[in-house]
Amino acid sequence: MKEKILQTLRELRAYAISKNVTATFFYHEEDSYLMRFANSAISLNTNEHLIRLEITAYEGRKRASYELITHLGKLEEMKQGVDIAAEMVKHAQPLNYEPTIPQYTETFIDESAYDAELAKLSNEERLAYFNAACDGLETEDIKLGGIFSNGTNVTAQINTRSEHAQYFVTSDAQISVVLSHTKLKWEVIAERSAQQKSDLNPKSVRSDLNFLLDRYQHDAPQQLPVGSYDIVFGSAAIADLMNFMNYIGFNGGAMKRGYSFLSEAQIGTKVFSEQFSLTDDPTRRETYPFRRDIMGMLRKPFPLVINGVFKGFTWYQDDADEFGAQPTGHTVMHKSLVINGGTMDVSTLAELAAMPRDKDILYIPFLHYMNLVNPSRGLFTGSSRFGALLLKKDGSIVVPYNVRVTQSLLDIFGDKVAWISKTQVVSNQSSSYGARNPTAIIVPAFMRVNGLEISHSNSSY
Amino acid sequence: MQKQLQAQIERLKQAGATYADVRWYPVEETSELVMWNGNLKNAAASRQSGLGIRVLYRGAWGFSASSDLSNLSALFDQALSNARIAAQRVSFPVRLAEKDAIQASFNSPNRIDPFGVPLTDKIAFMQTMDEKLNRPGVMQRICALTFVRKQIVFIDSEGSEIEKNIIEVFPEIQVMGVDPDGVSQVRKFSPSRMGTTRGWETVDMQMFSENADRIVRELNEVMAAESCPKEDRSVILLPGIMFLQTHETIGHALELDRILGYELAFAGGSFVTLDDFGKLRYGSPKLTARADATLTNSPGSFGYDDDGVPAQNNLLIDKGILVGAITGRQMVEEANAKARKQIFDGSSGANRATAFYRVPIERMTNINIDPGEDGTLDDIVRNTERGIILDGEKSWSIGSNREQFHFATEIGWLVDDGKVTRVVKNSTYRGETLKFYNSLSAVGDQSTWEVRYVDNCGKGQPNQIMQLGHGVPVCRFDNVRIGE
Repeated sequence: MKEKILQTLRELRAYAISKNVTATFFYHEEDSYLMRFANSAISLNTNEHLIRLEITAYEGRKRASYELITHLGKLEEMKQGVDIAAEMVKHAQPLNYEPTIPQYTETFIDESAYDAELAKLSNEERLAYFNAACDGLETEDIKLGGIFSNGTNVTAQINTRSEHAQYFVTSDAQISVVLSHTKLKWEVIAERSAQQKSDLNPKSVRSDLNFLLDRYQHDAPQQLPVGSYDIVFGSAAIADLMNFMNYIGFNGGAMKRGYSFLSEAQIGTKVFSEQFSLTDDPTRRETYPFRRDIMGMLRKPFPLVINGVFKGFTWYQDDADEFGAQPTGHTVMHKSLVINGGTMDVSTLAELAAMPRDKDILYIPFLHYMNLVNPSRGLFTGSSRFGALLLKKDGSIVVPYNVRVTQSLLDIFGDKVAWISKTQVVSNQSSSYGARNPTAIIVPAFMRVNGLEISHSNSSY
Repeated sequence: MQKQLQAQIERLKQAGATYADVRWYPVEETSELVMWNGNLKNAAASRQSGLGIRVLYRGAWGFSASSDLSNLSALFDQALSNARIAAQRVSFPVRLAEKDAIQASFNSPNRIDPFGVPLTDKIAFMQTMDEKLNRPGVMQRICALTFVRKQIVFIDSEGSEIEKNIIEVFPEIQVMGVDPDGVSQVRKFSPSRMGTTRGWETVDMQMFSENADRIVRELNEVMAAESCPKEDRSVILLPGIMFLQTHETIGHALELDRILGYELAFAGGSFVTLDDFGKLRYGSPKLTARADATLTNSPGSFGYDDDGVPAQNNLLIDKGILVGAITGRQMVEEANAKARKQIFDGSSGANRATAFYRVPIERMTNINIDPGEDGTLDDIVRNTERGIILDGEKSWSIGSNREQFHFATEIGWLVDDGKVTRVVKNSTYRGETLKFYNSLSAVGDQSTWEVRYVDNCGKGQPNQIMQLGHGVPVCRFDNVRIGE
């Protein structure tokens, strides 16, 4: 299949050159499978095989693109796409900067993150995983939900500047297993990410769920008073917070346009907690990395924050072109974010619950429906979900109703950080919106932040 | 093609399928233009075609989709194979509510096909808008035009065959500036739906020019303003934020699949239970809400849903009492059975998929609030002792069962003793859904009622982005916490 894809791209390149069209081609192919569970049944079992081709034509400072969902047998349709993009660009308006067209110096093939066994799991295997993950945990009132999503993702690029191409293939699995109470309306979750079939371990999922069920089934939930809390965030919450920080914090284009809470003047200064270090590390296979960006730049580990010191912005090529900045190899579908592990020796929720503590601690594993209230201040809001616990000073554990946190990311990752766990975990952040884009962030299993405000507390679920 | 599809459906029935349907998209086209600070940053078009097959086998769904139609039999077989494995884990066998077999077509009303308008004309419009927005105080100015055209052929095993041809136009202008505190402020304009059509003719140059002037003026007012106080006040929501309040805390809360727990693994559930229909006081008696898929000019109107059920206009909340939900054929059967009574009398025609490669789920149509009898905006302000007028969505965050919410808006105007006193920035409000709607104390008349659209409503796994509408008046709610 790889050769057929590359050959198709070469033929399109030749066609564009024959028509005197300067063009870039971005190929995306997904072969996706998704088994979705709800109310202890398979509510949806679906697969989709889609090929998307984006053709961008350039004419000096003018640029226009045309995308089609197609398949490899439709070369003529793709060539028509070249003609359409070429016609569109004639009528486009010039940019006030020169857009860079990549010039690959060698053909680059990366198949290192592909595992055929994971990509081609059968329906029976997906179902067996879920059956094992919730074995004995379902009741008349406690129902199974979640997803098992896996598949193959191919991206490939070529352009008229060079005969060389880039080709990346990954396989991935994203698994969420949810148990929810039909009457009481609480939910608990365990999530996993896999890069190869051998990563799949439903027993560990079952163990996580069992721990939470012990509390949620037997303890009466309580409404927490609003006010200041020391909060331990779980890995999914940390990854979500990280995503928002990446979205508005480190992007050079967003900063230049006034949307970031970080500034150029802060480069080289301490902005975050000394315990907090963050790198974009494309050498970490678990993150489904791109080792070269779309422009062909070799991607190396790129420090963003080291011991609290902000190291610099990342730049998409187009933003770098517009603002006269140096590109940083970040013209990619996603970064490979890694938060360093800290010093606290805690790996599991059971260990966290058993830790001695001098005051009550609120554990929030997951933040639901986060949004940015004030990007310039890094102010976000979101609600707890999926298994929050109040770990009482006396060692007991209380199940709380959900609460709302409205706080600045500069507080979350700033000097209010009490500790970060040594243990890191992979949090799968893949979105099924549009084209498949397997994405994962490596984050600490737990992070404690002191003195955060709970602005609202539910009186029920 | 239709005959081939019907033959495939028949073949699946003979193989044991109790129901099958196919949605064939001969063509779906989009065009997106974005001008940012005078630069045509995005001039993009797309085209796709393909089909999605949904099969019911022993009470379980299977689905398969592809753009490659060279082997139809394999595609249909894959959908049946997916249903067969799903049938190994069934808790409530899927049944579909009765409907009529329909042969029909639907064409969205358009006078000028936006795909027939030359690119140069569209760019000229954007350049004019860019010049209008390029004023002191404006740091970023954006003009975006999105056009969608899709042809959908629906065929099912019950004898329906429906063709839909839908064109949508989504224009928006936006300005952003940074205030003296270094905080970004934003003001946007996208037109409410007027008239009876939804083509290029709705992109009215004069209306956009007037609103370009307005949003620049209001942006500068916000940037010069003090921050919103943190206190309890009456909030007067203009349609530019009331539409989103309705969307998030009435629309999503009343999707029957959420109520039945089908979205608990991701998007969330609803505080509403099956016992609540006909009894729950959702809001004050001034609140009447409906799902109206018959509005001619809104993307929430599509003729027939993806179950093949015709568009309807149904009450959801009648004078404050919950009476209806947003439903498709599957969920109403399950809800009635689980409630052991007839809550729903058939599907309300709200099952939709965003593309040929996604499965239909319950989606909002046009979730509207009926206009009230409390007069114009001026009348409502005059009768407000201590309040704040809010407009423009800036951020929104809702609890997983839609039980509570937090919104930030682009602009706020404080109201004291019946008069607007001053503009405030960083305005926010939060509340608990039922308490909030029960504090509804004034509903504006028809003069305040506008149809707003949502072009990016997300739901489901795999995620689906849907377009829909909200017809809403100005509404006032009392004792609401603002400024957090």
